Amino acid sequence: MKKAFLVFFFLILPTLVFAAKQEVFVFNWSEYVDPSVLKQFEKETGIRVRYSTYESNEAMFAKLKMVQKAGYDVVFPSTYFVDRMRRLGMFAPLDKSKLPNLKYINPALLNKSYDPNNAYSVPYMWGASAIGINSKYIDPKTVTSWNDLWNPKYRGKVLLMDDVRDVFGMALRSLGFSANDRDPNHIRKAYEKLKLLKPSVKVYNSDSPRQPFLNNEVTIGQIWGGEVYQANQENPNIKFIYPKEGAVFWIDNMAIPRTARNVANAHKFIDFLCRPDVAKKNCEFIGYATTNSKAQQMLDPKTRNHKAVYPDDATVKNGEFQNDVGDAILLYEKYWEMLKTQ
Amino acid sequence: MVSKSGFRNVSIGSTLLWITVFVVVPYLFVLVFSFFQRDPEQIVAAVFTWQNYKDIFSPVFLVVCWNSLILALGTTVITLLVAYPFAFFLGRIPERIRRILLLLMIIPFWTSSLIRTYALIILFKANGIVNGLLLSLKLVDEPLAILYTQTSVFIGLVYTLLPFMILPIYSSIQKLDLRLIEAARDLGATSGHIFLRIVLPLTLPGIIAGSTMVFLPALGLFYIPDLLGGARSMLIGNFIKNQFLTTGNWPLGSAASVILTLIMCLFLYVYFLSSRKARTSGMGEMA
Repeated sequence: MKKAFLVFFFLILPTLVFAAKQEVFVFNWSEYVDPSVLKQFEKETGIRVRYSTYESNEAMFAKLKMVQKAGYDVVFPSTYFVDRMRRLGMFAPLDKSKLPNLKYINPALLNKSYDPNNAYSVPYMWGASAIGINSKYIDPKTVTSWNDLWNPKYRGKVLLMDDVRDVFGMALRSLGFSANDRDPNHIRKAYEKLKLLKPSVKVYNSDSPRQPFLNNEVTIGQIWGGEVYQANQENPNIKFIYPKEGAVFWIDNMAIPRTARNVANAHKFIDFLCRPDVAKKNCEFIGYATTNSKAQQMLDPKTRNHKAVYPDDATVKNGEFQNDVGDAILLYEKYWEMLKTQ
Repeated sequence: MVSKSGFRNVSIGSTLLWITVFVVVPYLFVLVFSFFQRDPEQIVAAVFTWQNYKDIFSPVFLVVCWNSLILALGTTVITLLVAYPFAFFLGRIPERIRRILLLLMIIPFWTSSLIRTYALIILFKANGIVNGLLLSLKLVDEPLAILYTQTSVFIGLVYTLLPFMILPIYSSIQKLDLRLIEAARDLGATSGHIFLRIVLPLTLPGIIAGSTMVFLPALGLFYIPDLLGGARSMLIGNFIKNQFLTTGNWPLGSAASVILTLIMCLFLYVYFLSSRKARTSGMGEMA
């Protein structure tokens, strides 16, 4: 009886007290965290994680807009949504003194134009969108540029992403413009150029672009590095080529909405995910590249040296990150609809 | 007696409540949003405008609608041609085999249609089962392009929607009075005559019901054409999805949803008229 009382007093009561007080509301993409990492956080800090998921940036944005008061504490927007939501004043500024593990984040991924000085966001997972080829059918040395997709010998064998920004970003880079261009003339030129590519396109796919490669339906096209890495488990002939005009990079970031109720806990949660051992465990579970340099060094050599997953700094510097394009997105979409219906 | 009507009220009431909360109210939001303005900061601004309906009638949207209509219509015709003979024989075979066949038709429904569509990809892909078989039998020299063509889109749609056509036709064939056919044959009618003058008119309600149940879902389905057709054209479903998830133009997406609903209502109205007509003319012929 005495023992039971002691167990209650020292083990159960504290968790009840914490459960009543300490919480953090996390809103993340589905399947984008190792569940055991959340348990570990609860165990180490006593802070209860209230976890829910979304399927698109736009859905997360809408929910934050609709639920004005009882908000989430941590969200995971992509670069261009960090940019947009930061401009709309939807984030609370980060208190860097509460994020000591920030020092482990790869400096090549910090201080980008979508969030100068990372005042509001910490990179979480990242990757590149560049050219994938099947080296059984195409000599990798012959492909160096986005413009190679337009080569008539690949007619009917090309894959493009099924996403307006990814496809137009690629076409704009091939013309020497920015993937975040807002100039209507440049966007129109990209459309004219994509019209020429359309007869070559076999499939638009951004759910899992590795599948048409593995199925021998396409031999060349746009793809993410992580998809090439996964494809290589089945077929080592799928290669990833960073075009000379520069790849387009994505980062999903952690940020704290202005409506957050548990700002201190949110900082603790973000810092926890930046801890190298946690980041390593997490990226092994999710399968994307970690932004954590220390965690990357802890991975097995085959993974951490895979160029498709972890490009060198010069490749990153030569590329571009997706920013918000404001109302120019309406123009992009108009041309996208014309491209798809012609 | 009181408890009986109490049960009736509760069951009807709960269904009505369910439909009101999860269908009528969300739909009213869509209707109201379609008259609001897009606002990059607040998603929508509560300012009345007709602009969304002016924007929607662009050449691009008409092409999108036309693509969707043709696809749905083609699917309906093919499904009807496949389903009718099957339903006809289903109604005439021994009870025991019929039960097994009906069960076989319903079992795939236990699996999500999305997963079944991925299964079709495994069948059709260049290094897939169908092409493997054709190549090993030396019927073709190189893999046939089946996946990412219009053919595979139709196969996928017909495969998914076929039971919705078979079941209503089967039930109307079951109701068919065989004595009418015997009588016609006794009076010297040919098989063609019997089909056109007796069987077809009497099963028309089943055909109309089945066609509606295939046509309307086919109009809105876009993941099957995306997955099997390679997403190379744009359908109404894609158009609406892009307005919400890419451009954040909820009012325009709502207007497109309203238009889609109106098209569906129009076809439901045609269904209502024609099924009433089919029923009365069927009666007339019997009399």
